[in-house]
Amino acid sequence: MRRAPTWPRHALMIAVSILMLIPFYWVVKTSLTGENIYAYPPRIIPVNPHLFNYVDVWYLIPFPRYLLNSVIVTAMAICGNLLFNTAAGYALTKNFPGRRWVVLLFLSCMLIPFQATIIPAYLITSWLGVLNTHLAVALPLLSTIICIFIFKASFEAVPKSLIDAARLDGLSEWRIILRIMLPLSKPAIATNIILTFIWSWNAFLWPLIVTRTADMQTLPLGLARFLSVLEDTTGALYAFVVLVLVPGLTIFLMAQKEFIRGLTSGATKG
Amino acid sequence: MTTHATAWYHRKRTRDIALAACFLLPALTIFFLYRILPLGWNFWLSFHSWSPLKPAKFVGLEHFEEMLLDDDVFWQALVNTLVFIGCSPLAIALALAIALLVNSDLKGAAIYRTIVFTSYPLMTVAVGIIWRWLYDERGGFINYVLRSSGIVDQPVKFLQSFDWALACVIVAEFWQVLGFYMIILLTGLQSIPQHLYEAARVDGVPPGARFLRITLPLLRPSIFLCIVIGILNSFTSFDLIYVMTNGGPGHATELLITYIYKAGFGQTRFDYAAALTVVQFLLLVVLTVIANRLSGGNAGSLER
Repeated sequence: MRRAPTWPRHALMIAVSILMLIPFYWVVKTSLTGENIYAYPPRIIPVNPHLFNYVDVWYLIPFPRYLLNSVIVTAMAICGNLLFNTAAGYALTKNFPGRRWVVLLFLSCMLIPFQATIIPAYLITSWLGVLNTHLAVALPLLSTIICIFIFKASFEAVPKSLIDAARLDGLSEWRIILRIMLPLSKPAIATNIILTFIWSWNAFLWPLIVTRTADMQTLPLGLARFLSVLEDTTGALYAFVVLVLVPGLTIFLMAQKEFIRGLTSGATKG
Repeated sequence: MTTHATAWYHRKRTRDIALAACFLLPALTIFFLYRILPLGWNFWLSFHSWSPLKPAKFVGLEHFEEMLLDDDVFWQALVNTLVFIGCSPLAIALALAIALLVNSDLKGAAIYRTIVFTSYPLMTVAVGIIWRWLYDERGGFINYVLRSSGIVDQPVKFLQSFDWALACVIVAEFWQVLGFYMIILLTGLQSIPQHLYEAARVDGVPPGARFLRITLPLLRPSIFLCIVIGILNSFTSFDLIYVMTNGGPGHATELLITYIYKAGFGQTRFDYAAALTVVQFLLLVVLTVIANRLSGGNAGSLER
């Protein structure tokens, strides 16, 4: 059979790739430029590139503080997710009355976008008395329905005979979970960690609402604050952008497969 | 003997139920506090006049009357939200074209896929700042290209322009979400059985018809999913708008979600913001139902 040549497709995809990469290049270039970033025409290649802008970030704003807050909130969200989602996922593999209703409840909760509930969610958080704390920022992120279902599917895939054998050997329920179920669910755990990391690292609207003081703000809020306080007059803003994007990008590129699988399995189950 | 067995069975069953309840409790608490309770409270709030310092009073549909009859900003935000959602099929079509290109046995398809997808997991606030800079009238890439190629003489102030601002924000949103659409469509494409194409080829069906008769119909669930995500993006694009234009100039890029934020946390009118949220939520439900109808009914088709 005659095959169509592949070069037109390559040419198209290379064009698309370049268009997709230009924004990255432009921001990295700006963050490295030594001259006035508003000079016209802008240079395509940065002139006398240096890293001063990156040093500036540490002096102009409380970058370490923002970073620490982001790390704390993300760590809380990941711990909460692993604990609560594995537990809920395991419970759903059990047969108990009302199981169908619980599944239905989870599925319908999934249809409520969190952004559609911010006003009462704010009031509830204030009623709990935790406004302007790390906990308040992390609370709504502590469990994710998609991941509960990913764990459920993963636990159900563990061969029944293995569990029965373990039970015959006298292993307790806890031991079975810790020694058999969890080690066999490593892909699900990886997916959950990555999804939670990305969501909580990037979250903006919720932290914006529940934090009041600068010492509780996370990196995205720091970015927005930098923009409004110092205006975008300096290359440091773009150095800040690059610094903030690097962790997310690294994690994504390292665990691309788990990330995409998590998103698509969650999406198709929705 | 039998009583022993049943007693054992009952004990085990009670233990199972207790275990399931304990294990489900934390997750259920979170979803009760941050999904179910807020949704109910939000509806309640939208029919009441309330502020943190004043007791609630039932006012019926007063907020909705004010919104529909007297609030021009609401109408502008609603229209902008609809435009925002209405443009997403463009991005989906583009993503479908890319997905078809990289789905084949093209060498290096994985690299192209990664490049197209990389913009999706980025922090949206940072994406907003990047695009703001690209649109900038002095240091921005887009004005630079337009000016040096002689298309415009004077730099265009894209984000300060009433005509361009919304389109510019939508382009930035496309850039971020394109890869996600592509991945969903790719998953859909890969689930289409190859033998259908082979049979069609044997029967001499031309490629165009193969696409229309096999690919598109079987891709419906994926396309439906993309449309739903497009609808949901009108919520999540808050970050982008907040950084790029904050709803301006005037209210040219105001979406319902940014208006809800401003009403609730700018003017502390929580009750009115709740009423706006109800409208946004209903809009979402209605549009999803319509999309579901158009894609051939049965949202359960997601189950493949």
